[in-house]
Amino acid sequence: MDTRQLIVDTATKIFSDHVDKTLLDAAERGKFPDALWQLVVANGFHQLGSQDSGTDEADLFAFLTVCGQFAVPLPLAETLLANRWLGADDTLASIGLAADTRVNEVLWGRSAARVLGVRSGSDEVLVSVVPIVVTESTNMGGEPTDEVELGDPVIINVSPDPYAQLALTRLNLMAGCLQAQLDLGIQFATERSQFGRTISKFQAIQHSLAIVAAEVAAAKRAADAAVDAFHDPRFVLEVAAAKSRVGEAVGIVAEQVHQVHGAMGFTHEHRLHHFSRRTWAWRDAWGNEFEWQEKLGRHLANLGADEVWDFIATRN
Amino acid sequence: MAITLRCLKELGDVMLQFDRISLQEETEVLRAEVRRFLDCHRAHFEHPNSDFSTGHDPAFSRKLGEQGWIGMTWPKAYGGSESSFFERYVITEEVLAAGAPVSAHWIADRQSGPLLLRFGTDAQKDFYLPQITRGEAYFSIGMSEPDTGSDLASVRTTADKDGDNYRINGTKIWTTDAHRNDYIICLVRTAPQTENRHAGLSQIIVDLRNDGVDVRPIANMAGGEDFNEVVFDDVVVPADRIVGDPGNGWEQVTSELSYERSGPERFLSAFRVFVELVRACGPAPAPHQAAAIGRIAASIMTMRRMSISVAGMLENQKDASVEAALVKELGNNFEKLLPEIARMALPSGVEQSLYRRTYEETMLLSPSFTLRGGTREILRGVIARGLGLR
Repeated sequence: MDTRQLIVDTATKIFSDHVDKTLLDAAERGKFPDALWQLVVANGFHQLGSQDSGTDEADLFAFLTVCGQFAVPLPLAETLLANRWLGADDTLASIGLAADTRVNEVLWGRSAARVLGVRSGSDEVLVSVVPIVVTESTNMGGEPTDEVELGDPVIINVSPDPYAQLALTRLNLMAGCLQAQLDLGIQFATERSQFGRTISKFQAIQHSLAIVAAEVAAAKRAADAAVDAFHDPRFVLEVAAAKSRVGEAVGIVAEQVHQVHGAMGFTHEHRLHHFSRRTWAWRDAWGNEFEWQEKLGRHLANLGADEVWDFIATRN
Repeated sequence: MAITLRCLKELGDVMLQFDRISLQEETEVLRAEVRRFLDCHRAHFEHPNSDFSTGHDPAFSRKLGEQGWIGMTWPKAYGGSESSFFERYVITEEVLAAGAPVSAHWIADRQSGPLLLRFGTDAQKDFYLPQITRGEAYFSIGMSEPDTGSDLASVRTTADKDGDNYRINGTKIWTTDAHRNDYIICLVRTAPQTENRHAGLSQIIVDLRNDGVDVRPIANMAGGEDFNEVVFDDVVVPADRIVGDPGNGWEQVTSELSYERSGPERFLSAFRVFVELVRACGPAPAPHQAAAIGRIAASIMTMRRMSISVAGMLENQKDASVEAALVKELGNNFEKLLPEIARMALPSGVEQSLYRRTYEETMLLSPSFTLRGGTREILRGVIARGLGLR
């Protein structure tokens, strides 16, 4: 078994044992899941993709897909990127969108020892080890997201494009989280009985889940392609394509899977909303579909009509 | 709950495996070669169209045959070059993206040839396959009938053994290019229907030019006459025209259908609309125009990679029927969405342009995209079966 599969299997085991509905609810109320974080550190997951860890960025993003599949309520994407950029550290880090030294939408900013600020189109990243929380808030995905002032910020330069790297974390989280929604839909449809048979026997339900399966498959393939382009000159454009395609899948998947679940899936008690709300939040984070489509479209328009096929027909 | 979810996850993962595949250097050499070839033969497609069923040009098909680009995965003994599925993939996507006229040989290359190669007799392979690889023999598919659409097992056309011959009676419909192709492989009933609806079906080759069939073109809504009604009134053909064993028709026809579902023709039909959209938007597009271009490109890039993953499964002789259905489901829906995205990106004043002409032609063909090669409804059923729902 290769390292990546081992990481994925171990993370799957740990998260399926520890990330339950109670923990997700508590985290959405603002209770930091400290025991889970300690478990992550104890297993070395917080160092994936960092120098000297013996793992690479593909392992890091494969792990994030598992995090998305369980809607793990920790800023692991942010901590992993910070450790990759700054060197591995056992403290929690988070990253937000920077406007000067004020940083917005910092996931678990209130719990982070290190906060970084990233801007679109810049390779400069602000780093603060004395972040000051200005306001605490929660995004529509139920994730604590805070506004933070960066005390004594230091500038580092990050390559490839840090904003695109953050977008890449979100689209991998989404790919995993969309798979979870498909799984929940299949599970519900094969258990719920109406008109004397499980609703999975109805063609309307089968077709809804077939649509979901196609979107999930496309999202996963798009996410893999963007990860594979990490060291490629096309990296930002491949992220653009993937963020667009995975983001498009989100609306379709959540709509269909909620419909399959009926009123049950609309309750707070059911776990589906943790996944559907997360993906609604993540498709808007670090550039929505329109933002990335425009970036990719400008590049292609500039290449010209007779060159677009050559851009699409890559080897990888 | 968590444990159940994990079991389902495994099921899902098996189902949705689209491997990451990098095309090899050799395929890129071939890509450069086919592009040079297409550049030299632009006279054959002054008005490019990426729809595989548009553009019937036997002279162009013969030129592709001379290059060795028809039946390329087949044995050399039959004129093939024993190339990989990836090499075939590169040729097919390049000719489609360029909008070259490929409909004459397309079905024979994609479907009829592989069917004969797998199930045909040695004599059939020796006779038909070299003609196909030369780009000289064109095939139609005789599956649908006036009362048989998606429910293929209900075909009523009969082929009755009569000495050394079969006597065929019945009607096939929606038969693309039967009025200009050479042969049709028909799904027929060679034994009366029993409780097993799939038993007693066979496939038989009929010569469209010489066996006395009556072919009546049917005009389509786009103004073309590509498909036909084909009537068999006591058409007599030699018994050795049966493909494979009599009674094996159902197994053959279902395996044949899986050849045709995952290729680039399932998401590139509207590609030239995209090219002309980019041209019409110019080098400095407005934000909504740039976003439309980016959105379309992002979808094509993803589906292309999925399609190449399926080519990899075919290369490794894996059963790709569910994955192929997924690609076709996504691809056909997207082919219809592409012109919808494009039209909102351009003001309606862009008249008489190549964009307008390409858009209108594609829009008029678009209802067929989710019908041909298995309707959307049938494909969703195939996917649902793969998900364990039926």
